[in-house]
Amino acid sequence: MMKKKGSVLVGLVLSLALLAGCGSNAQTGTNDGSAAGGEKATSATLKMFIAQPRFKEQYDAHIEKFKAKVKAEKNIDLTVQVEMPNQDNAAQILKTRLASNDAPDLFVIHAINDIPQYSKAGYLADLSDQPFAGKLLDSVKPAVTNSEGQVVAVPLESLSWGYLYNKQIFEENGLTPPATLSEMEAVIAKLNEQNITPFILSYKEAWVPQLFLPLTVGAAIQTEDGMKDFVERMNEDKGSFSEMKSMFDIIDLVNSNGTDRALEVGPDDGAAAFAQGKAAMWLQGPWYADTILKSNPDIDFGVAALPVSENPDASLINLSVSSSMAMYADTKNKELSLEFLNFLLDDQESNVLYEALKFNPIATVHTFKSYPWVDDATAYVQEGKSYQDPRIPQAVKDEVGKALQSYVAGQMDQDAVLKALDKAWKDYNKVNK
Amino acid sequence: MAAKSYKRLLSLAAFVMPAFILYTLFLLVPTIGGMYYSFTDWNGLNRAYEFIGFANFVEALREDPDFVHSLWFTLKYVMFMLVLQNVFALLLALFIETKFRSKGLFRTVLFMPNMISTIISAFMWTFVFSQVLPQLGERAGLGFLNQSWLGDPGTSFYSILIVSLWNGVGYMMIIYLAALQGVPQSLREAAVIDGARPWQVLRHVTLPMITHAITICLFLTLNGAFKVFEVVYGLTGGGPGRSTQVITLNIYEEAFSNNFRYGYASAKSVILFLVILIFTFIQISITKRREVEA
Repeated sequence: MMKKKGSVLVGLVLSLALLAGCGSNAQTGTNDGSAAGGEKATSATLKMFIAQPRFKEQYDAHIEKFKAKVKAEKNIDLTVQVEMPNQDNAAQILKTRLASNDAPDLFVIHAINDIPQYSKAGYLADLSDQPFAGKLLDSVKPAVTNSEGQVVAVPLESLSWGYLYNKQIFEENGLTPPATLSEMEAVIAKLNEQNITPFILSYKEAWVPQLFLPLTVGAAIQTEDGMKDFVERMNEDKGSFSEMKSMFDIIDLVNSNGTDRALEVGPDDGAAAFAQGKAAMWLQGPWYADTILKSNPDIDFGVAALPVSENPDASLINLSVSSSMAMYADTKNKELSLEFLNFLLDDQESNVLYEALKFNPIATVHTFKSYPWVDDATAYVQEGKSYQDPRIPQAVKDEVGKALQSYVAGQMDQDAVLKALDKAWKDYNKVNK
Repeated sequence: MAAKSYKRLLSLAAFVMPAFILYTLFLLVPTIGGMYYSFTDWNGLNRAYEFIGFANFVEALREDPDFVHSLWFTLKYVMFMLVLQNVFALLLALFIETKFRSKGLFRTVLFMPNMISTIISAFMWTFVFSQVLPQLGERAGLGFLNQSWLGDPGTSFYSILIVSLWNGVGYMMIIYLAALQGVPQSLREAAVIDGARPWQVLRHVTLPMITHAITICLFLTLNGAFKVFEVVYGLTGGGPGRSTQVITLNIYEEAFSNNFRYGYASAKSVILFLVILIFTFIQISITKRREVEA
């Protein structure tokens, strides 16, 4: 009997200890403000949320430098808590934190997809008057600007993309990236003659066929007079995707000249197939460079702009910003947070950080050298042959991926796809009034 | 006397409490919270949201063809699973029961797939469907193997069914096995002496005696099949397009991609909950009536 009582007691004590542990954790989590200056060293805690665990080392190194800087300049012992969840559920975790008043001071979100929503909910601080805002490249700045014209984030990762092509195959056959649809047809004919499949098709995951939409819509907005305000008109329920019907020219061309079993091939398999030279081109961005090189380190590939019409000026590179760091609007550590954001684009240290992260240059202070495929795309950008990734709502992007899958499977025709897109955008408007 | 029953109650509560607290905290409270949100237009992020009554429910059933399609698709899946899973499980159990020597081996082998996590078996089968079967078809000249198992909307339903069955039959089989072992040998022998043929023994002695197991298995299958997610997510992701989208996937898509309509997605979950509730009630009340005792 005594023994039993004893074990119950032990159990109780243990569970209490557990509870206490939780409690004390919550205690240390609270911030103690940003008391700057003073003779004696003060302490402060910054909480960051960066959903890129694969870059932990690089970020940690930069944070260490920042800590040293703060210590030297302001005599503050800074503690930085960095939370790096997996990208897949990062959005859920961040939303939970924001909703439960446990917001990190700084957090990384997707510039194109997330800024409108988060900004509207009032979670993003206005950073327009910060020194870093003046350093951003003109082509990058719109991506981190909200609908009220405020700069709300520091861009980290940016992407310049069109499609990937195997330089070796192109060279062996005396081909160069085509600038118009008919040139593309000629390239395809030449490749078919040589028994080389022109395109890898990997549509198992809906976001891959989805890539057609930003490319075609972005090019149309940039080059066709009637389309300039397409996104705005769609946002006001006044446009329709029937204006964009010509996008099927290139979609059909790619789909009818690609590898088999498109709907069963995932992007990773696609990357492997592309790396092994099973086809000459792949509609995919350079974010798969790592995977491709892992499969075949010797492959020589480049990025080119996808032709969408007979207008050579419409073959443009899509320039988009993905992860960007924003500041929580009600943060208690405003000064230090702002300082860190500016430190991301510090005149000297920024080059080290962005080069280590292998991100593209996004600010005037960036002078480092990047990969060949990045240089390919940068060449387009410098010639002005690029456009800002159009702000198509995520819901519409999801829809187009699914609709184009159905289109490939023969369940939907062109009009049905366009109608589904119109409906998705209308629903988006209705929900986000 | 009163003190004693009070003490009894207390010890009962003490035993139930730990589980009950966890259950309340992690299941009951979120469930009720979800039901509450189903009446709002919360998007999971905004600090402000409005109470909109039954608008979400009306929209889901009236203006959302994708949801209705996923509802019908899930029902079709449930019906197939209900019949096939139980028939296969029962047949396997009967087959194993007739063995004397290798009982343990067969039981283990057939139960094995159930020990693999569903999502992993889905990924394994993705490889089988997209690489192994087509290659096999090509090399062995078996044309029917070389088809678009996951890419064709018609075929992929059966692919999903195959993997679900492969994964789920073992578990049901164990339950049936246990029930079969509980059927008194004397009853069967009596029937045989009376001149009953094996089929008649099965139909009139064995089956009535294991109705309680049938009740449980039907219940488990019904419940699990309505909530199917991993298999479809892993195999087709609901694709191509939305042709193999089940309700849970539709809810997932509504809440975590698309427009992040948490409120609306919660309403859909409540609808799913009600559908499962009604179906299981009907099923249990029918099968319970047929149960007999030896």
